[in-house]
Amino acid sequence: MQTFRTILLQHIVWRHQLLKLARADIVKTYSGSALGWAWAILKPAVTIFVFWFAFDIGLRIGRGQDYAGYPFILWFMAGMIPWFFMDEMLTEGANALRDYHYLVTKMRFPIATIPTFVSLSKLLIHLCLIGVTVVFFLCYGYAPDRYLLQLPIYMLLMLLFFIAWSQFACLLGAMSRDFYNLVGAMTQALFWLSGILYDVHTMDVPEWLRIILLFNPITFVANGYRNIFIYKVWIWEEPDVLLYFLIVLCVMTVLATRTYAKLYREVPDVL
Amino acid sequence: MSSDKVVVRFRGVRKLYKLFASDKKRLLAVFLPHIPYSEKWAVDGIDFEIRQGESVAIFGVNGAGKSTVLKMVTGVTYPTEGDIFVDGRVSALLELTAGFDSELTGRENVVLKCQLMGMRDEEIAAKMQDIIDFAEIGEYIDQPTRTFSSGMLARLGFGISVTTDPEIFIVDEALSVGDSRFQAKCVRKVREIIERDQVTLLFVTHATETAARFCERGIVMKDGRIVFDGAISDAVALYEGGGY
Repeated sequence: MQTFRTILLQHIVWRHQLLKLARADIVKTYSGSALGWAWAILKPAVTIFVFWFAFDIGLRIGRGQDYAGYPFILWFMAGMIPWFFMDEMLTEGANALRDYHYLVTKMRFPIATIPTFVSLSKLLIHLCLIGVTVVFFLCYGYAPDRYLLQLPIYMLLMLLFFIAWSQFACLLGAMSRDFYNLVGAMTQALFWLSGILYDVHTMDVPEWLRIILLFNPITFVANGYRNIFIYKVWIWEEPDVLLYFLIVLCVMTVLATRTYAKLYREVPDVL
Repeated sequence: MSSDKVVVRFRGVRKLYKLFASDKKRLLAVFLPHIPYSEKWAVDGIDFEIRQGESVAIFGVNGAGKSTVLKMVTGVTYPTEGDIFVDGRVSALLELTAGFDSELTGRENVVLKCQLMGMRDEEIAAKMQDIIDFAEIGEYIDQPTRTFSSGMLARLGFGISVTTDPEIFIVDEALSVGDSRFQAKCVRKVREIIERDQVTLLFVTHATETAARFCERGIVMKDGRIVFDGAISDAVALYEGGGY
């Protein structure tokens, strides 16, 4: 608890610097390439196109199935857009301290805030993608409605979970490259095991397996975004799903805080 | 020149580095208590006090623990045992560089570094030209710092540190990469801020004559301990003589 308070306090004291660092992180990611910012949109666009082509055109999975009356591509996009953020956070989050080793080993800086500004930087890209998504839905004739109001809630929950994840993972990633490689290997698996390409609620599986799948925070987020854009469900209409997520969020936060308390003194010596 | 105010104090400070056989073992040691490692006491029982406005050189062969001491003063690494007290804004040039992001340009790095020190945007804009002029970087300032030579990095780092009003200024070897003309300029500038602003200087180097030019006090370290602490001329004589 003491550690958690310390971390919060560091965030408050360094809030201005954190925003500047988040900005620098974006500049760094997209400068030095001719297309610059366009990559932030282009890369996801290519991925979505490939999946749409493979599933809708190639495998014809999109046809004949009911996506609440929406075309497959819109249904897929709604769940896939947050994945780009989560994918980045899973891997980059684990690498945050190595990327910013100069903040750890060259100056006095609260290292617990590094995952936070990295997340904020990725969140801005995510917001741009949300903008594109809304426009895309408009092109298909679906105007934004009041369900879009709960987007900030899902976004905040997603952000909190991945800050906690990154807090935990970046320390272990700094201690050993093995951990970073492990995360890289797990990311693909997580994508296919999470409810991004299928809806966990309507899957034909035993109830116990469904509950396990619903404990996956990635599934929660993808599902939540679909509730906004496709299914038109309010977050409180699925209280059990929200509860599972909040449990996982708490566990992750405790784990991150304890890992920090254990490792923050050692990390500067190994980077 | 120095006042009575103690700005740095070490009390029985020891620093242990755990050396694991591999990265894998280090990761396992986070979860399991009985992973073997060998111990290296980089700093092994150090006591000293530094007063405001003092300029102190630390000598010692490689591995004597000099850099570890400076890192602990800066606050980037933590002591295993003992107490450290530091009072004042520390500006450090550790291991040659000031800690630049290699993907950002020189200018972006200057801005970021100043922001991290808590300066406002107008202040930074006002000092930018001073820093560029001091570092003699010229138009390279808008190139990513990964393209900089070690001399350019050290000059830019030095430029930022001396123009941003440090209270405690820590220099680890950073002077050794500059040419002699730039070194002379740095020595002049450092002397100036020591005298004008009562800046405290902590300086690690092998170049004893550079140290003798602007330090009054010398500390000689060996195997993580202080073997001499006194007048710079005696420290230089002892270190050069090697008979300690």
